[in-house]
Amino acid sequence: MSIDITGVTKKFGDFVALDNVNVTIPTGQLTALLGPSGGGKSTLLRIIAGLDSADEGSISIEGADATKLPPQKRNVGFVFQHYAVFKHMTVAKNVAFGLEIRKRPKAEVQRRVEELLDLVHLSQFSHRMPSQLSGGQRQRMALARALAVEPTVLLLDEPFGALDAKVRKELRDWLRRLHDEVHVTTVFVTHDQEEALEVADEIVVINEGRVEQIGSPEQLYDEPANDFVMGFLGEVTTLGGVVVRPHDVEVALQPSGNGEVAATVTRVLRVGFEVRLTVTTETGEEVIVTMTRSHLRQLGADEGTKVWLSISKGAITVARSGGVPATV
Amino acid sequence: MVEVSTPTRWALRLLAVGYVFFLVAWPTGLLAFRTFEEGTANLLDTLREPDVQAALQLTGKVALLAVLINLLFGVTISILLVRYEFPGKRLLSALIDLPLSVSPVVVGLALVLVYNSRDGWFGPTLEENSVQVIFSTPGLVMATTFVALPLVIREIVPVLTEIGDDQEQAARSLGASAPQTFWRITLPSIKWAVVYGVVLATARSVGEFGAVKVVSNNISGKTQTATLMVEEKYQNFAQDQAYAIAFLLVLVSIACLVTVALLRPKTEE
Repeated sequence: MSIDITGVTKKFGDFVALDNVNVTIPTGQLTALLGPSGGGKSTLLRIIAGLDSADEGSISIEGADATKLPPQKRNVGFVFQHYAVFKHMTVAKNVAFGLEIRKRPKAEVQRRVEELLDLVHLSQFSHRMPSQLSGGQRQRMALARALAVEPTVLLLDEPFGALDAKVRKELRDWLRRLHDEVHVTTVFVTHDQEEALEVADEIVVINEGRVEQIGSPEQLYDEPANDFVMGFLGEVTTLGGVVVRPHDVEVALQPSGNGEVAATVTRVLRVGFEVRLTVTTETGEEVIVTMTRSHLRQLGADEGTKVWLSISKGAITVARSGGVPATV
Repeated sequence: MVEVSTPTRWALRLLAVGYVFFLVAWPTGLLAFRTFEEGTANLLDTLREPDVQAALQLTGKVALLAVLINLLFGVTISILLVRYEFPGKRLLSALIDLPLSVSPVVVGLALVLVYNSRDGWFGPTLEENSVQVIFSTPGLVMATTFVALPLVIREIVPVLTEIGDDQEQAARSLGASAPQTFWRITLPSIKWAVVYGVVLATARSVGEFGAVKVVSNNISGKTQTATLMVEEKYQNFAQDQAYAIAFLLVLVSIACLVTVALLRPKTEE
């Protein structure tokens, strides 16, 4: 196993950023640390890189204990959210930095820089200064710079967080393809569940300094460990104290006697092809239901209509305050 | 920009130009005029005097040492202030500004109190080891260093704060040691602040008068700097020579400004 994180705790004053975190990150895969802002995922990444130190616990990289190693001895590549480009160096010099520090022969440095710039599609910009590049180009350069030293692990801290939506999406696809080419063990931090689900082989969900769940995107989506994971990976609503996705709530005008809940439609909101209904049950619980416009037209419900709600068969549900997932 | 009527615009220009002219350009110009009133003979004769040469050399030596010391400590203290947290940091920061707010005469007196060879704290001990501070070059260097102390630091600190430590962290993660990170990343990033700091410190050190006056016993050829000599010549009615030396001091300042102006646009693109 590539990175073993054992019992890591980190406090900033009396704020607990990480609370006894145990994670094993597999070799050669693309792992996402997913969670809300301030949840501790960036801190964990910085501790793996040696940019921050853990108060307790240990980190081992490729079987070797790295807990006390300074960052320059860990052989990790780190990509920062705001690129951290060396502003006074050309693109080529930026990429060559790690190799020059390692005193590699000039010819080798030059060859490797060319290869990497080719890999990140920046060959024609090698003599530009970073200030002449766009945000996406800078981040690709930062990635090439991190890859130049052939790191054991590549760590990316919200790598696309500072980019606009379109470039973000492009780079996300590109990172996935790049990883398929270079196969270096990669860990990236994100608060965007779509990004994690789309790019990662494995996702570690971190919240309030604790690991909520570890698994593949499918596992996380299909078998969420608790209502936090379920809520973080997609929209949820509650029906009868059970957390469920809004598109998994069935609406009928007549009861069929299978324990449906009587309710009244209180609000209808059209968002593109989708309709969001707010339905209030007799106990006062507000349930969100989403369906297509044509489905609503077939149903013929509108504000004030009395309806019966049930959870559709095979839907993923979780008890409201933690617990095991149940399938209806 | 807000539109301003033509008369107002002209009035503002006249005010700004007049202000600078009467306060700076005219007096300095007059100094140059008086120096060269009878050709270059006055300046050349003055420069030929051994005492004048000694004073200029002393000023050069003192300024060079003071600037070097301030450069070394300035960069170190700036990094300490911006990159590290430690108790007493605010106090240190406030102390660094002290030389700007306190009169140089006070600086001189304070140094005399501590280092004089009769009843100073360190003076007698140093004297026994045949090191004389007051009335000697070390005292002059210390006084000059003191008054120019904040100039380098106050140029570097805001720049260091602004660039943040992202680039330094990136360098560390790429395998650079702390000294490598400093030479390859930090120093090139603050290069311009350092140059400005050094230029300001040089100008200040060359022109220092008050603090130097107190710690020097003003012996021509030994502890008399150029500024002290200007005063002496002036008081001894050797005005032409006083103007000539003063003109040279102005020349140093202008040279500093021109150096910066020439260096800057080329590399900052």
